[in-house]
Amino acid sequence: MAEFSTTIKEHDDVSIIYLKGYLDAHTTPVLENTFANLIEKEKYKIAVNFKDLAYISSAGLGVFMAFIEKIRDNKGDIKFTSMSDKVYNIFDLLGFPLLYEIFKSEEEAVNKFKENKKVED
Amino acid sequence: MKYRFLEIQQNLKFRVFLTLGLVLFFFKLFASGTASALMTGFNELLVILTATVFIFYLKDFVHNRQINPLTLVMSIGILNALIFFLLEFSDLILGSFFGNIEQQIAHPGLIFNLVYTFYVFIILSSIAYVFLSLREFYFYREKRNKTTYFNTMIIFFILASLAALLKGMPEFAYIWNTFLIISIILIIINSIKISWIAFIVKKDKVTLLILSTVITVLFIVNLVNYTEDNINRKLLTSFSPSIAQFTAIIMIYGVIYFSILFFTTLFHLPTAEAFDRKAQEVSSLQYFSKLITEVLDFKELTETITDLAVKICGADASWIVWKSDNEYKILANNNIGYVDANAVTELVIGKSRKGIIDSTTILDLKKIKTANLLSVNYNAALFSSLRTHNDIKGYLCVARKGDISFDEEDISAINTFSDYASVAIENARLVEESIEKERLEKELDVAREVQRKILPAKNPEFENLDISSVFIPAFEVGGDYYDFFEISQDKLGFVIADVAGKGISAAFIMAEVKGIFESLSKFSSSPKELLVRANQILQRTLERKSFVSAAYGVIDIQKEVLSIARAGHCPVLCIRGNEVQNLTPSGMGLGLDFSEYFENTLEEKVIKLKTDDVIVLYTDGITEAKNSKLEDFGTKHFEQILLENRKLNADEISNKVIQAVTLFSQSNSQHDDITLVILKWKQKVKINGEEEWQNLAPQLKNMTM
Repeated sequence: MAEFSTTIKEHDDVSIIYLKGYLDAHTTPVLENTFANLIEKEKYKIAVNFKDLAYISSAGLGVFMAFIEKIRDNKGDIKFTSMSDKVYNIFDLLGFPLLYEIFKSEEEAVNKFKENKKVED
Repeated sequence: MKYRFLEIQQNLKFRVFLTLGLVLFFFKLFASGTASALMTGFNELLVILTATVFIFYLKDFVHNRQINPLTLVMSIGILNALIFFLLEFSDLILGSFFGNIEQQIAHPGLIFNLVYTFYVFIILSSIAYVFLSLREFYFYREKRNKTTYFNTMIIFFILASLAALLKGMPEFAYIWNTFLIISIILIIINSIKISWIAFIVKKDKVTLLILSTVITVLFIVNLVNYTEDNINRKLLTSFSPSIAQFTAIIMIYGVIYFSILFFTTLFHLPTAEAFDRKAQEVSSLQYFSKLITEVLDFKELTETITDLAVKICGADASWIVWKSDNEYKILANNNIGYVDANAVTELVIGKSRKGIIDSTTILDLKKIKTANLLSVNYNAALFSSLRTHNDIKGYLCVARKGDISFDEEDISAINTFSDYASVAIENARLVEESIEKERLEKELDVAREVQRKILPAKNPEFENLDISSVFIPAFEVGGDYYDFFEISQDKLGFVIADVAGKGISAAFIMAEVKGIFESLSKFSSSPKELLVRANQILQRTLERKSFVSAAYGVIDIQKEVLSIARAGHCPVLCIRGNEVQNLTPSGMGLGLDFSEYFENTLEEKVIKLKTDDVIVLYTDGITEAKNSKLEDFGTKHFEQILLENRKLNADEISNKVIQAVTLFSQSNSQHDDITLVILKWKQKVKINGEEEWQNLAPQLKNMTM
């Protein structure tokens, strides 16, 4: 029924994943593959754009949990941007804002990555 | 039954033949030397009768063996060789053994008669077998009924044989001549169209060419030997002139048939290869269409397809490319390494625009430089698309090593075949899918059963708590869980949880969570402490990507206090008076973080209960129930219904909610489990020093009803 797809855009060394459609237990493998591919290419700076995401289930949230450890171990991060109120509410209830940085716009997320890099340098 | 009947018939024929043979033997022994016309006539009658019965006996024998033409030709050749030796050495051996043969024939001794009969029998039965084999050839693979032609020919054979009896009278010689010439003409006419040659493969045709040359020569030599005036001729003519003549005619038949066979085979040779290939194609397709209905194993099927593809277009290698997720994968490879098959595929598909080949394509690999990298030098590759419902799903590919590329004929052959192959592959895939689906359904049955057993069978009963719980499972088990724990007489613990994910894995985590809560509720006095401990325990078993949202609360009936902690779960609602309070103490889901951070961010809320407070626990199955427009039922809608019905008892409130949700989502299927737990607080008051219930009246009313 409901479809889900991802597209990736590279912004400097930050990979931005655009989610579209319904992310539930059936469509999580799509997102899992996307993450696995990025990690394979050693891209650990990832921003996820939720602008076009209509729905996310708990299984969908699980995908981020599955990869965050590996990504942070490699000095990367997953940052969330452009969430609708509805989607933010789901993240909020589960306590995700305690674990992940969530930004209003994509730009802020990318800038945050840059700032962190400067600090490291 | 039919076979047994045939056997009895055969036996009968054989017995009649044996009897006639014995009569003939004794007749020859005692009545020879008399040259009266009557005796000659009787002799002929007896011989012809015996020969006829023998031929009929042998006919069934030859016919029932279902011999292939090549073995039939071989047996004719062997019999001819036997006759050749008999004819060649009869003079030498019989002559030296018995001396004057004519005298012996006139006055046969017992031993001579035995040898004589045996010799004639061997010659005649060989000739009979040759005759019957030629008859088999005549009818072999014949579509039209040509029995009349053959029978006419046989009648003239017999007439010519009988006319041989008149040879002694020169004035009647023309009769014999006429019948013989007509017989020969009929033999030629009947032998001219040898249709079965076409169905023989090229290799066998070559063999046949050699064999027919040898046999024609043997027939000619035998015929010449036979007609010469030697001991053999004397023996046979004295035995029966007509049978001797018949034998000669059969030899003539053999000479003519086999020389025509030689030329026919010769003319068929150039087209043999093309014919072979067509025949191969047809039989492969036949075999394959049979296979489609029988073979459902995917691997076996693809292997058969590549195997047949090689045969159909005389290629050296074959493989199947299948498209999945925009990537091409090799499903099966025959006679070609996986790496080579992949390389050729990439070459071909890379060369085309859009990465799709629409029509069947021949690729000349010699012209492509990178083709040199292949471990085997393939000269040409042919790609034919596999389609279902006009979508290209993959390609059937064949490749050749030699100098010869593929031609139009190969294209049409492989196209026909790949049409069949697509259907077969699609079928096998559908079967595999349905088996998988069945397996998943079985798994879900198990998961639902687990869930059903985990949830409490009935609600606990407390005098000043009105409790209601509803659980509606989704088709795919959603992982919802709720439970009550009677910690002590005046303490009730309750939990609501939702495991991330669905199906059997969610059900197992649920079972684990139940175990954890069940045991912890006995020892942990505060909800916060309990959730922190639960999180610690789950660390050991929970997968990284799975987590559990939960809310745990304890109602102290004596102190009239509710303490609650929430680990990522939907808010706990408290309807008090005219408003809905969201109890959302901070806290993240179980399994998201295992450091102290989890404990530090987890809050516990304590509220003093007031009369008619309605505590509502739910899972997102309610708020995220969807209508046909995929809109959510929503929190506001939910709260509104709770407010409207707050004065009803717990069961009634939950009925109202479920009704509303069902009505809202009736045109859409239920995707997630729905769980709703309602606790209504009924404060106790003291009247006349005795404990009384404030809202006792309605309860009594219910009881009397």
